[in-house]
Amino acid sequence: MAQAACRIPVQPIPVHKMHVLLVEDDVVLADGISRVLKGYGMVVDVTSSGTEADELLKRREVAVLVLDIGLPGIDGFEVVRRLRARGSNLPVLLLTARDAVEDRVRGLETGADDYLVKPFAAPELAARIRALVRRSGARPAELTMMGLSLDTHAKRARVNGEVVELSAREWAVLEYLMQQASRVVSKEQILDAILPWGEGLTLNAVEVYVSRIRTKIAGAGIVIRTIRGFGYMLEASKE
Amino acid sequence: MTASIRSDLLKWLIAPLVVINFIGALLIYMLAWGPAQDALDDNLAEAAYDLQAHLRLNGERVELDLSDQAERILRINRTDEVFYVVRDAAGNTIAGDIDFPMFAPYTASQMAVPFMSNVRQFHVRAVALRTEVGAHQLWIGVAETLTKRRQIQSRILFALVGLETLLLVASLAIIWFAVSEGLFPLQRVRNLLDERNAGDLSAVEEKDMPSELRPLLGAINGLLGRVHKFGRERQAFLADIAHQLRTPLAGFKTQLEVLSARHDRDPDVARSAALMMASADRMIRQTNQLLSLARAEPSQFEQRRMERVELDKLMTESIQHFVQEADKKAIDIGFELQPASVMGDRFLLRDMIDNLVDNAIRYSGPSAEITVACHCDADGDVVRLIVEDTGPGIPPADREKVFDRFFRLSDKEQGSGLGLAIVRDIAKDHQASISLESGADGKGTRVTVEFASARPMSAGTKLHDASMHERA
Repeated sequence: MAQAACRIPVQPIPVHKMHVLLVEDDVVLADGISRVLKGYGMVVDVTSSGTEADELLKRREVAVLVLDIGLPGIDGFEVVRRLRARGSNLPVLLLTARDAVEDRVRGLETGADDYLVKPFAAPELAARIRALVRRSGARPAELTMMGLSLDTHAKRARVNGEVVELSAREWAVLEYLMQQASRVVSKEQILDAILPWGEGLTLNAVEVYVSRIRTKIAGAGIVIRTIRGFGYMLEASKE
Repeated sequence: MTASIRSDLLKWLIAPLVVINFIGALLIYMLAWGPAQDALDDNLAEAAYDLQAHLRLNGERVELDLSDQAERILRINRTDEVFYVVRDAAGNTIAGDIDFPMFAPYTASQMAVPFMSNVRQFHVRAVALRTEVGAHQLWIGVAETLTKRRQIQSRILFALVGLETLLLVASLAIIWFAVSEGLFPLQRVRNLLDERNAGDLSAVEEKDMPSELRPLLGAINGLLGRVHKFGRERQAFLADIAHQLRTPLAGFKTQLEVLSARHDRDPDVARSAALMMASADRMIRQTNQLLSLARAEPSQFEQRRMERVELDKLMTESIQHFVQEADKKAIDIGFELQPASVMGDRFLLRDMIDNLVDNAIRYSGPSAEITVACHCDADGDVVRLIVEDTGPGIPPADREKVFDRFFRLSDKEQGSGLGLAIVRDIAKDHQASISLESGADGKGTRVTVEFASARPMSAGTKLHDASMHERA
C-alpha cells in the first residue's frame, strides 16, 4: 500500500508540454522537484537565485512559476512583486517552509496565486501546478490517464481507444475530475466547475452523473472513489 | 510571620492612638477634678472660718462657744463624717476630736490650707487654719471623709471612660476602613492578574492605578514584557529550526518519490524506499508537531491572532492529506461537515484537526472507519468538532492520560505522544472543551471538541466588549 502511495503516475501527459520555471536554492529539493515534474511530462527550468529568476522571466515565456520564498539575493516576494509590476499574469505557486500568517498573507498580497508548505507530496505539487495553469486558461488539448483519454477540443472521450458517448454535463464532470486527478474534490466544487451546465442542479444530481460516468468508463483502469460525506477522487485503479 | 502592610499600618496607627487617648483622658480627668476639689476644699475652709468665729477668750483660757445644735449641724453631713479640732500652741486640744492628726507644718499662714490625712480608720481631706485669740496662738482643723469626693471622682471617670471608649471605637473603625480603602488598589491588581488566562502576558493597565502603585506595576509589566519576549524568541527559534528542517526534508522526500517511482518494479528497492518514506514522513510529522507545540503553548498564544474561522472550510483544506494517509492503512474516512464558525487562530485550529485525524488514522488499525464531523447545535451557541473511529478504543482508565505529553498507549505504533497534548493545548487556547468517549455501539473512540460558536460580527464584538468590561 505504501508503495502505491509513493508511485508517481506518469500520466496524464498533456500533448502541449507545460513549461515550468522552478526557483529553489536547495539543490537537493530543486533536483527532486524538477525530476518529479518531468515525470508528469512538464518541461522544467531551474534556477537557484531570485535575481537570475527575475532576469529569466523578462526574456523567457513560461506557463507557470514555482518559487521558493527564502532565496539568496532578492527573495520570492520581491520576484513576484517585480513580475506583477511588469504587468504579467503568469501563475505563481509559492513554496514556503514557514506557515506563519504573515508569510501567507504577504505572499498572496504580493500577487502569488497559491502556496504550498514544505514538505509536500509530489502529486500534490503537480496537481497544484496543473490547477494554476488551467485557471490561467492554457488548457491542455488532451488529458490521458491509464486507458482513458479526453480530447478537450473535440470534447470526446475514449476508453481504450473506443469513443464513449457522454452528455454535456457528464463530459464536464469527467473533464473536471480528470483535471483534478488524484485530488479530492467536493460535490460543490464539481457543481461550480461544470457551470453553466450545472445551473439548477442539486448535489444529488452530481452523484447521478458520477455513477453514470463510472459505468461508461469501466475498463479504463480508472476509479472514481467516493469520499464519504464530501465528494470524489479520480485515480488510477490499484488492481 | 509574613509581613503585612495592613497589620503594619494598623499597628502604627492604633498603638499611638491608644496612648494619645490615654494621656488625653488623664489630662481631662485632672482638669475636671481640680476645680471640683477646690470647691469642696472651700466648703471645708468655710467650716474652719465658722469655728474661728465661735472662739471666745474666757479669762486666760480660750473656749469654743459652740452649742450642741451648732456642733450637730457642723458634724452631720449627707454623705461624709466631719471631724474638727481646736488646739493651742503646745498642741493641747481645746475642743473637738482629740485624735485629729497633727497638722502644724501646714499652718504657716492664716489662710486655710488643705491636705490629706487620716482620722482614726478614715482617710480624710482636712484644712488647717492658724488664728490668734488675744495673745493665744491657736490652730483650727476641720476634716471630712472622702465619700463625696470619691463619688465625684467616679462620676468623672465613668463619663471619661465612656467617652474615650466611644472615641477609640470610632477611630479604630475609621482607621480600618481607611487602611482597607487604601489597600484596595493592591487587591485590584491581584484580581487583574488572577483573572488572566494562563498565557496572557500582556501589560497590566496602569492608567487608573494610584501613583504609588505605578512603579510596581511598571516593574511587573517590565517583567511580563521580558517573559513574553523570551517566549517569543524561543518560539521564533523553534520555528526557525522547523523551517531549517523543512527544506531538506522536502528535498529528501521528493528524491525518494523519484527513486521509488523509477524502481517500483524492483521489490527490494521499493521496500527500502517505502520504509525510508515512512521515516521521512515521521520526521516531517515530528517537525510539524514541534512547530505546533511552540505555537499552541498557552503562554505563547496571542489573542490578536483570533479571527472568525469556518471550521468546515478549514477541514476541506486538509482532506487531500487525510484521504492519502487513510489510504495507506486502507481506512475508510468520511466526512459530515456542516457550516460551523468559531473564533480562533486558523493555523492552530488546522493543527488541531490534523492531529486529531492523524491520531485516529494512526491508532485505528486497518479497515477501520473514521468519520470527521463538525456542526453547530440548534441554538447556534455551540460548535462541535467530532472525530470518531472504529478502532480498538482507549480504556477508560487511560482517557485522561492520553492528553499528557509523551504518553503513548502502546509501543507498537510509532508516535511522539504529542498529538493529543497539542490538541489539548490548542483547545485551551480557544476555551474549548475536549471529551473522549467510546464511539457508537461502545466501539472505537470518539473525540469531541466543543467551542463557543462565533456569532455574526456585531454580536461577537459586543461579547468581546462585555468581557473587557468584566475584566476592568
